[in-house]
Amino acid sequence: MKNSFDEKILEEAHDWVKVNQKVILATVIQTWGSSPRPTGSRMIVNEKGDFSGSVSGGCVESAVVRESMGLLKDNKPHKKIEFKVSNESAWEVGLACGGEITVYLEQIN
Amino acid sequence: MKLETLKSIISKKKNKTEFAIITNLSTGESEIFEKEKPLSKELEKYSNQINEFFKSKKNGVIDGTEIFIETYIKPIKVIIVGAVHIAQYLVEFAKSLNFEISIIDPRGYFASEQRFPEMKIINKWPDEAFKQIETNENTALIALTHDPKIDDPALHHALNKKFYYIGALGSKKTHTNRCERLKEAGFSTNQINSIHGPIGIKLGGRSAPEIALSIIAQLVAQTYKK
Repeated sequence: MKNSFDEKILEEAHDWVKVNQKVILATVIQTWGSSPRPTGSRMIVNEKGDFSGSVSGGCVESAVVRESMGLLKDNKPHKKIEFKVSNESAWEVGLACGGEITVYLEQIN
Repeated sequence: MKLETLKSIISKKKNKTEFAIITNLSTGESEIFEKEKPLSKELEKYSNQINEFFKSKKNGVIDGTEIFIETYIKPIKVIIVGAVHIAQYLVEFAKSLNFEISIIDPRGYFASEQRFPEMKIINKWPDEAFKQIETNENTALIALTHDPKIDDPALHHALNKKFYYIGALGSKKTHTNRCERLKEAGFSTNQINSIHGPIGIKLGGRSAPEIALSIIAQLVAQTYKK
């Protein structure tokens, strides 16, 4: 049995839209190796950079926020981003856990 | 995703229907898939793969395509017998998990709306209450009254319908007596042993929220064993 959780991210996205915020929905669409969150995990980001939910264990959220804000600024509808295993450089965004994920960003309009 | 699609997803989740969201990653277009509903022309050629994802309740991208499928399953039905203090915390935990809770308690003073706002409480004896709830092997029972008059009929129903999780509150002694009664009622040792009693995983806590946590942890573990 899968999906025994429901984080209500889509409901929250709707609440944000209702108060006139621009919202990007980020979804994990593919995973390889020991990625921290399963396919279908979600987070939302608004134009101010507020976010809710998660697509990893905190490893790539900052990059997703940055990319999402960029997408909103350029008014682009969607984008696919691949995150790979991070190397030893502590400042580089990546998955310290050794997994790989693809995240799909799409604007709610 | 269109706002209209988002709204329709939220309402389908609320109505506890089974569906999938299918997104074309290259165009950004998404549509909702349901068992009886035909697919759009563009997606028709993937219908076998989409049905496969839907049946196995998986999320993912169809190999060699730009089509992403996310399936939504019905929440798991959990029946709590006894609108007691522990049940109030179980309701709270269940909110963030995909469980749909119904509470049965024939004692009106327990089953008050003020104690359980926005909850479906069936103020009837279990035998009567089960007539209005559809149950099967995907249902779970949490018996909390430790009163044989109320818990036992519910346990009989759950055992007969082969619920995947059956838990009953009470001390070891209470549980031994319960097992004796079930044996007398004709249930097999295997059936009786399938009951989690005393209920919950061992955390050590004895307060209502701690017991609720130990029960919900056991329920989640059993849900993943299915």
